Amino acid sequence: MIQVEHLSKKFGDLVVLKDITIEIKTGEVIAIIGPSGTGKSTFLRCLNLLDQPNGGSIAIDGVNILDAKANVPKIRQKMNMVFQSFNLFSHLSVMENLTLGPIKLRGISPKDAELKAMELLKLVGLAEKADNYPDELSGGQKQRVAIARCLAMDPEIILFDEPTSALDPTMVSEVLSVIRRLAKEGMTMAIVTHEMDFARDVANRVLYMDEGLIYEEGTPQQIFETPQKEKTQAFINRVRSFTYQISSPDYDLYAMNAEIENFCEKQILPKKTRHSLLLLVEELLQIYTPGLHGTRLDLAIAYSEKKETLQLTLESSGEAANPLESNFLPDELGLTIIRNLAEDIEFQRVNDKNRLTVLMRKTL
Amino acid sequence: MKYLLFTVMLISLILFTFITGCSKSEKGITSFEDAKTAKLGVMTGSTGEAVARKKFPEAQVNSFDDIMDAVAAIKSGQLDAIITLFPAALQVSKKNPELRLLPEALDKEDTAIAIKKGNDDLLASLDRIISELKSDGTLDSMKGRWLKADLSPYEELDIKLPKEGAVLRIGVSATREPFSFVDEHGRVTGHDGELARLIGARLGRPIEFSNMKFMALIPALQSGKIDLIITGMTASAERKKSVNFTQPYFANTQVMIVKKSASATAGAAADSKTALPPFLQSIATSFRSNIILENRYMLILDGLKTTIVISVLATILGTLLGALVCFMRMSKKKLLNLPARVYISILRGTPVLVLLMLIFYVVFASVNISPVLVAVIAFGMNFAAYSAEIFRTGIEGVDRGQTEAGISLGFTKVTTFLNIVLPQTVRRILPVYKGEFISLVKMTSIVGYIAVQDLTKASDIIRSRTFDAFFPLVMVAILYFLISWLLMQSLEYLERKTDPKSKRSKVACA
Repeated sequence: MIQVEHLSKKFGDLVVLKDITIEIKTGEVIAIIGPSGTGKSTFLRCLNLLDQPNGGSIAIDGVNILDAKANVPKIRQKMNMVFQSFNLFSHLSVMENLTLGPIKLRGISPKDAELKAMELLKLVGLAEKADNYPDELSGGQKQRVAIARCLAMDPEIILFDEPTSALDPTMVSEVLSVIRRLAKEGMTMAIVTHEMDFARDVANRVLYMDEGLIYEEGTPQQIFETPQKEKTQAFINRVRSFTYQISSPDYDLYAMNAEIENFCEKQILPKKTRHSLLLLVEELLQIYTPGLHGTRLDLAIAYSEKKETLQLTLESSGEAANPLESNFLPDELGLTIIRNLAEDIEFQRVNDKNRLTVLMRKTL
Repeated sequence: MKYLLFTVMLISLILFTFITGCSKSEKGITSFEDAKTAKLGVMTGSTGEAVARKKFPEAQVNSFDDIMDAVAAIKSGQLDAIITLFPAALQVSKKNPELRLLPEALDKEDTAIAIKKGNDDLLASLDRIISELKSDGTLDSMKGRWLKADLSPYEELDIKLPKEGAVLRIGVSATREPFSFVDEHGRVTGHDGELARLIGARLGRPIEFSNMKFMALIPALQSGKIDLIITGMTASAERKKSVNFTQPYFANTQVMIVKKSASATAGAAADSKTALPPFLQSIATSFRSNIILENRYMLILDGLKTTIVISVLATILGTLLGALVCFMRMSKKKLLNLPARVYISILRGTPVLVLLMLIFYVVFASVNISPVLVAVIAFGMNFAAYSAEIFRTGIEGVDRGQTEAGISLGFTKVTTFLNIVLPQTVRRILPVYKGEFISLVKMTSIVGYIAVQDLTKASDIIRSRTFDAFFPLVMVAILYFLISWLLMQSLEYLERKTDPKSKRSKVACA
């Protein structure tokens, strides 16, 4: 139904979409996920030309809408959009919001349009609000009216641009259940969302967007359970990370500790975990410090919100050697502490670098 | 309604205290010697002004456009004396028992007809006609009939004017009884009105009067808006530089009007005792002389009509033009955007009076165009600059999402604007627009400068006959207020109608 090829879009010098190629088939529900600022909304807005793409082609039912001759307003009637900020027409009542398009654009008689609108309002559960004005509705109600307004135009596809991001948490579910119902009825939809559980339930296909590309795509199972690529994994597991670079033995320990504490606070880690993490980092660095002349050490701490795990990665240049097995150590005390705090320690030689991965024990 | 009544009462009260507070008497002037350090009133640009500055260098000289303004000032104690031409001074002293003329003249001068330079044929025939009128005694008879010491009615000659032919446009400042003034039928008459008709008859041309501010006459003549000025104008050396004058048709003098001594006026006031309290009685008298006498209410009604016509048409023109300018201003193309910016800053930075005169005397100099139309254009252009910016803020105030929603629904840019943005804009801008509209209505009071007889001009004409400063002004103030109030009500009705929720409440009521 929609065939997108090599779509690109930039705002000034900022490249938002690099090269997007995808086909959306009738009846498909596509969830588009990914970190903020990776072009998810822009992609959706390019689809109905609210933002004009800089390159590539978009064909709808075989018609290239980027062609100067294409009747874009007519094509837009087939693919309506639900916005993050609802955008209900504030000077019109709920009923008029639903009937304006059908009457003015599709030439439907006002009476028929109202009958249809009433039906749709019943569908979204807001029949009794028909005479109210948008400013008298709650956020969730507004969004349901906006969905009904789209449906009133009998679209072939609905584009949802973060439909629940502007909503109170208490109102998210009323909107999601309306969308779920549409999915069940076979509506073709493309949904940009941050609601992962919802995306997993409702979608047939999930697109993970990053770096201005469709970074990984697949069924909900593939994306949510066995993501293949690193960034997808990090995103799915909601990994937050912290990196610190040490290039001499005289590094500022206090500044680094402060930054680590700051990171822990942001992730709302318990005090005990914080102390253990600092202790672990300190003991590890004790081992590394004698060998820091002329080499560089990259320290990374990654916290997975979903798995609730903390993982430390230390990468150092230099000859291949596992620092924990070398004989510089004055005693075994530091090593014992590290083994106690860690659940799993792994050493690898990657890209000419010594990589030590330490997974912190959960109970701590 | 209550608040309207309250306002009217408040205005009356303030004016009452003002009137009574001003009737204090001062020591009178009895000779030119006394006037040396006095406050003198003169007519702007008149020879009297030059005389006053030369002969009384230490005096404080105030210029007025119209004699009745100076009379109002001397009556309220802001002036000690007025220097003006004898016929006008005679008229003032006739109608204001508390004022008198000093017997000696300050200066002699000639009154003549002004004509555009280069129009020598017409000048020659006018000179011939004036010679004829002099020799057959017509001018003497006119002097006797128009310059009278008592208040008996004027006898006017019945002059037949041709209906066909090239119209002779006569510039007058018809607030100068007995030379030129407006009679009970709204015609320009007086000594010079009659002279103009005589000239028209002898030349075999129909005539048309253009009644404007005195200071606007010479620019109008130079720009070709009028052919002649016949309004008791002195052929001064200064004016001869810019226009030509015929031979004099009247030998004039500058005289001084002063207040009678306090005792004399007190005696006169004591005579007029009646049943009514003095304030109410004076109101009743003023009402009679300013409104009823000579059907003066017709002048007011005509003026009112003109004011409303100019206000409404200028608003319509200004709104349409403003929409166009706003469209250009909001365009991303510099070619459209820049002219609109320039237009807005120039029009907002220029007084509308200057714009009005520029359009009348410069832009349409050689075009015979109705001054009312010029007023509509000038005020419309001025209003457009303001309304364009009002519209722009209104349109920009509508959330971008509204437009996006309309477009994504399948509306084009234009239909999105018409169906979605515009209705929201109208509701948003009406309160500001209303204020701008009211200020336009009040601004139209300056159209008298280009010979339009609006409400303010009507009050000027009445004041020039009755020399009553307060009643006509108060009345005009109240009328302006009423117009603004009524027009405001209609806009408020619109405001209520565009509020979508009002529709529902009506439905609920029904």
